Amino acid sequence: MMAIGMVAKGNGWTPKFEDIMCSMDSLGKMPKGAVVEMKEAMQLARRFNRAVVRPYALELDRKMQQDPTYLPWEFVEEANRWGFYTMWIPKLFGGKGWNLGSMIPFVEELATECLGMANLIGVQYFGISILFSTWNVRLIDMICREVVEGEKSGKPCLVSGAVTEPEAGTDAEEVELLSKARVRCHARKVDGGYLVNGTKVFISNGHLSTWHMLIAYEDLERPEETMVCLAVKNGMKGFSIGRMEKKMGQKGCPASELIFEDCFIPDDHVCFNAEQMKGLRRSAKETGMQVIDFVVSATRPGVGAMATGAARGAFQEALRFARQTEVEGKLLVNHEWAQCLLAEMYKNMTLARLTYMECAHINGRYGLASLMNHKPVYYYSRSMPTSFFDRIMPASNRRAITTKLVRKLVMDGQKEEDAMRASGWASLSKFAATDLAMENCRLALELMGRAGIRQDRRVEKILRDAKLLQIYEGTNQLNRLNLFKCLIGPYAPEARVFEE
Amino acid sequence: MRTDLNGELMMLREMAREFAEKELVEGREERDNYPFGPPPDDLLAEAVKVGFFSIMLPEEMGGSARPLSALCLVLQEICRVDASLGAAIFTHALAMEIIKRAGGSAILEDVSSTETSLSKALIAFPSFDNPGETEPEAIAGKKGDSYEISGMVNYLVLGGLAKRALLAAKMKEGGGNSFFLVDLERDGVSISEPVLSLGLHACPSVDLSLSRAKAMLIGEEGKGDLLFEEAVDRLSVAAAAMACGIIKGSFDDALQYCRERVQGGREIVDWSEVRMMLAGMAIRGKVAEMLVERASAAVDGEEKGWQLASRAAALHTQQLAYEVTIDGVQLLGGNGYMKDYAQEKRFRDAEQLQALMGFTPLRKLKYIRRIIEGEPAWAG
Ligand SMILES: Cc1cc2nc3c(=O)[nH]c(=O)nc-3n(C[C@H](O)[C@H](O)[C@H](O)COP(=O)(O)OP(=O)(O)OC[C@H]3O[C@@H](n4cnc5c(N)ncnc54)[C@H](O)[C@@H]3O)c2cc1C
Repeated sequence: MMAIGMVAKGNGWTPKFEDIMCSMDSLGKMPKGAVVEMKEAMQLARRFNRAVVRPYALELDRKMQQDPTYLPWEFVEEANRWGFYTMWIPKLFGGKGWNLGSMIPFVEELATECLGMANLIGVQYFGISILFSTWNVRLIDMICREVVEGEKSGKPCLVSGAVTEPEAGTDAEEVELLSKARVRCHARKVDGGYLVNGTKVFISNGHLSTWHMLIAYEDLERPEETMVCLAVKNGMKGFSIGRMEKKMGQKGCPASELIFEDCFIPDDHVCFNAEQMKGLRRSAKETGMQVIDFVVSATRPGVGAMATGAARGAFQEALRFARQTEVEGKLLVNHEWAQCLLAEMYKNMTLARLTYMECAHINGRYGLASLMNHKPVYYYSRSMPTSFFDRIMPASNRRAITTKLVRKLVMDGQKEEDAMRASGWASLSKFAATDLAMENCRLALELMGRAGIRQDRRVEKILRDAKLLQIYEGTNQLNRLNLFKCLIGPYAPEARVFEE
Repeated sequence: MRTDLNGELMMLREMAREFAEKELVEGREERDNYPFGPPPDDLLAEAVKVGFFSIMLPEEMGGSARPLSALCLVLQEICRVDASLGAAIFTHALAMEIIKRAGGSAILEDVSSTETSLSKALIAFPSFDNPGETEPEAIAGKKGDSYEISGMVNYLVLGGLAKRALLAAKMKEGGGNSFFLVDLERDGVSISEPVLSLGLHACPSVDLSLSRAKAMLIGEEGKGDLLFEEAVDRLSVAAAAMACGIIKGSFDDALQYCRERVQGGREIVDWSEVRMMLAGMAIRGKVAEMLVERASAAVDGEEKGWQLASRAAALHTQQLAYEVTIDGVQLLGGNGYMKDYAQEKRFRDAEQLQALMGFTPLRKLKYIRRIIEGEPAWAG
């Protein structure tokens, strides 16, 4: 396996400082303003929670039980009005340019009140992360500006990410498995573009999105080497949206089927394919994994943050209940065992947060948007208004040479060990935080007894919502294996992953 | 104890299994939609007709006079497919147990002899409450030679369906809680819309608001908490049987799915981590099965320490059910999270069942208190 910073020394394991203490290593290296932005994002989320999320969360959940095909446009429009769909789009592409690191505490806040609504906003950046991970600057510019336009016009322009297929879920998240996968979403190269056939399933926000970042394969026998990413827009001939799943939780956020029947995607909608990536130092397969890793390194800590929100929501409801309820003649909160149980929940929530914050440091230094954290770049971008960039950027963003240069810089520039560290830690945060969240839900339900099982007490919804966190963005099993591959494997050269 | 029951028990189990497969698989998802779908009346009526609601009643009262083991077997088979019906049977059985202990045989007879009407054949009961833990919000006072109750009763299981409810109320004059039978169709009773809950949707519940509703005392005044605890001693193992049924159903479906689902070029059952998860489920299931069988025999035989055996079985099996069903969802990946598969329902149902008969932590504390106060911890 690839070495990460260290090579195996006998049977020892001696990690580098930044592998285990990246946050400490980052002290002074990250712009202070990024922390200010985190606080501001948190405050903004709290305001939004008070005004929109908390008053509507239970009602939306109930509405969806009554009518599982309901689409929560009113919420999406409200989030659009608040500017959340462009908040983390860089100013270079017309967005508000908030530092990417500020998104995760924002997501935690929202998730504390409603995971479904947090996802309705968060998934936007899953789609956009896929787009950014291809480093196709022209398409990034075009689609991001449409999103910004959608904000101005009040017609939300959302972006979904379509990877999973009926027969390939785990397999679609890992190139080593992809070579054996039963993927069916075929992109056949034809004159002037691709002809796509196949189906994607469980696509969050599918029914609500205008753009869909589609992963397909030129050769279904060699998907690991022929992955393509296509920008599909609603209304394209041969593209339709199918069924909407009936889920246990996160009900407000639709999971959609996307259907492609001889759908023609023109060349100028190709975010990346093997052809475009020629000239980079990695093979097509390695580049495919690099793209996946760029995405999941950014989004899995986001799931960690959602899980932290769930752990915290459960804790808060349990505490509220313990302070209000008398049991065996005294307030629950005054029983020693209940205090220990609440302490356990506090610990779970805090550990979950620590994992995603560590990822924030790692991503800030080495991840998708690390470029924006170089102090001169950061402060320059922060101090100039978007309108300034709007005057100069679109023209250069549209030029092919820009994409070429950026890819050289970012993709070729990324060191293996940095990619592995980010991906491994993202997995750690994803499965650790989501397991901790489930544990907190269980503890809250135990503490609350009969009250906990009622939908009007909120906590059972958190349990239903949180279970999804262990499944999407790669199941927790895949994420354990990815941690092994990225953080342990390099020290155990004899180890093979996905080959047993 | 009668020893000729083994064969009979086997037959009963077969019958319950057949019923579950024939009546419960189809329409499970639709029933789970309640209250946004049709109410489960027909199914409950069918189950009443088959005799699932009177398994332990004496023969002279129209029951089949079977031991608790029989109820456990039936609940296990039913909960394998749909725990909602199990919870309805359990709730009714717990109420009947209390009435029986209180010497209310006239009432039992009345319930079982009116099989024609579903509402008369069911007793609603707040089976997720232990009246000794959180003070009842209903208060009873004497009125002539009868009683009147005012106040709230939350999460009354079967409340929208049954004509009568067994309720605990605090006595106006002080003293402990007492049980009362209330006719829900009479004046002074107002019933809420169905309460939306985590699981067991087809075992409907309501909130009750009482205003000087006429009530009949069950047992002695002030002896409610004791009656409840005695009934819990016996019926806990039935709660364990429900959890055990869910575990079995969850495992069976997971194993089947893992044999069919292919990822990474092979059936996922051939990935060793998947096997590890399945092993964890199967072992927990086996432990649960043995536990229920042994504990229910201990209860029926009134073996030394049967009360704690019954309670330990419930507490432990309910915990196992949570651990198993969470993996039961996980092994189906995204599909496990969808209503089209029964796994997410089992997960919700299992987690709801842990709240039966009061707070889990308090049930644990009560368990150890009894040992500290002298009940033997071990059978041997
Ligand atoms: C509500 C929802 C929203 C979603 N949103 C999106 C979205 O927006 N975009 C998108 O592309 N996808 C989305 N997904 C898909 C999600 O990422 C997949 O469900 C997930 O990757 C798991 O894939 P699967 O469902 O096919 O499960 P499978 O891959 O079939 O897994 C089944 C089980 O087998 C295990 N398993 C599989 N392979 C192995 C192995 N090699 N070793 C050990 N265990 C293994 C898994 O851990 C799991 O327990 C969403 C899913 C859901 C449920």
